[in-house]
Amino acid sequence: MKKIRKSFRLPIKILKTLIKDSIQYPTRIVVDTIAILARCGILLILYWYVFKLSNGVINGTTFIFAAWSIFFYFSFMLLRLRDISRLMMQDIQSGNVEVLFSKPISYLSYRMWWQVGSGLYSFVVITILAAIALGLIIGLPYTMVIGIFIPTLLLTFLCGIVLSLFMYAIVGLLSFWIEDINPVFWIVDKIVMILGGSYLPVALFPPLMKKIALYTPFGASQFVTHTVYESWQTNWYQLVGIQLFWIVLLGLVAYFMFLKAREKVSVNGG
Amino acid sequence: MSSNSIIVSNLTKKFSFSARNESSGWLKNLFSPEKKEIIAVNNISFSVKHGERIAFIGPNGAGKSTTIKMLTGILFPTSGNVNILGLDPTKNRKKLAYQIGTVFGQRSQLLPNLPLTDSLEFFGVMYDMSEKEIKTRITELIELFDLDSFITQPVRKLSLGQRMRAEVAASLIHKPKIILLDEPTIGLDVVAKKALRDLLLKINKEENTTIFLTSHDVGDIESLCERTIVINHGEVIKDLPTEDLSKTFIYEKYIDLVAKTSFENFPELPKGITYSSKDKNKITVIVDIKTISVQNSLKELLTLFEVEDIDVYNADLETVIRHIYEKDSQKL
Repeated sequence: MKKIRKSFRLPIKILKTLIKDSIQYPTRIVVDTIAILARCGILLILYWYVFKLSNGVINGTTFIFAAWSIFFYFSFMLLRLRDISRLMMQDIQSGNVEVLFSKPISYLSYRMWWQVGSGLYSFVVITILAAIALGLIIGLPYTMVIGIFIPTLLLTFLCGIVLSLFMYAIVGLLSFWIEDINPVFWIVDKIVMILGGSYLPVALFPPLMKKIALYTPFGASQFVTHTVYESWQTNWYQLVGIQLFWIVLLGLVAYFMFLKAREKVSVNGG
Repeated sequence: MSSNSIIVSNLTKKFSFSARNESSGWLKNLFSPEKKEIIAVNNISFSVKHGERIAFIGPNGAGKSTTIKMLTGILFPTSGNVNILGLDPTKNRKKLAYQIGTVFGQRSQLLPNLPLTDSLEFFGVMYDMSEKEIKTRITELIELFDLDSFITQPVRKLSLGQRMRAEVAASLIHKPKIILLDEPTIGLDVVAKKALRDLLLKINKEENTTIFLTSHDVGDIESLCERTIVINHGEVIKDLPTEDLSKTFIYEKYIDLVAKTSFENFPELPKGITYSSKDKNKITVIVDIKTISVQNSLKELLTLFEVEDIDVYNADLETVIRHIYEKDSQKL
């Protein structure tokens, strides 16, 4: 127990420090709130209108399911996990990587905890407030009040965090070889956005795209958007299994890439 | 236990990179580019005793930073060995990090938006110190580095001098046995430079911390380091006590000649005497005393110029170091 507590001491300190940092600058949360209200709000209004035009049902799904699915996507995005790629690229380009490499830490896990900490405060505050607001405005679908919803939501949320971190860390690690990872980041990020259900809820995908969204890590990292659908109750263990598969695979890829990357370090002036 | 903190033997670092070959087509340049290699550090060896204060100097691109980065385990050597406090930095980077402190003058390790205390506590946790140890050490560092006046200010609001003091303090939170500093006084004014040097001397004296620093500032070397290692083109070209460094060019004397009215022309000088600077009010010449004595050179100069005043002196350390670099470059 003491050993576990010891190994989590630095991660907890990182999270606490970054939450303190976020609280110190409250304007950031206002900006984040405006951003999510603008992006998510516009999409919800558009979908409300589209569903209304289709007599309330599209592909067997009603607006309330689509709305909560989109909400979970944007809530997850508040963690800004994808920013780890650019953070790592900045470390390489600025040479800041040498500061972190001279500390008794694992660079990769430090950067992952740092990324979680960076968005945690905005995520918690905005998600709670927005969930209450959305619940009051459109109500909750029955799938969100059954027993397995909360535990499986948390589980897939956690798996989504780890998977996203691994996926975007792999993109970030590429900067040890190619320095400017922006083109790769752009492609990966857009695929995640599309397959994750940012533009169109996964329930409305054509069958082939639905399969791609299910079986690739890009879509798997956003399975939190599936939790509101009826199919989740029977499929959740399969979807979490897919997430775990990609976590193990991408985790190994990230680890071995990092071992190689360490040998590739080259900083200005040495 | 060995009396050496650092042992470096036959250390070499080569960097390879792709270079565009103008004579090849773009397809060949894209898929099979020409590889070029730079030898940043070439087979260097030296050792540093516990508690020593070492200046590791050299011109830009000499290999100083590359060496420091290999000593800390940031870069992997191409060949050779590094032993720091009995550890190999490439194999035991994390273990070694607990024993050493690093300051990179051009980068910050502090948390910019939060007060300095948060950074110190953060690094205390990072170095696995207990809460009690962290508190005690922060109190010690506040006193030692006189941080009290700005400890509660966000780091980004500190002046450069204050920030550098804070950087050094943060790198000492875990009481490292060695502190490696890469150009710690870069950009600081004379007062801040002196304050930082005094602090480093203090921790060397009080905590017996080995100091290994790279700097372009002669003041850092003169006032702080008892030994100087000069590196150029990746090779160690001098390794000697700092006080002996100025004797390296003892065969050179400088003579300032101040004009009685003004110097109109600058005639050719006798063998062994060369112009260092020419101005209508003042001329400085360098005398090679192996070729001509000071007495004879003065006689010769007085026949050539009408002077108001004469000053004879040895080269300052900065000039000596410049000479060392220049002489080494001429060898190539």
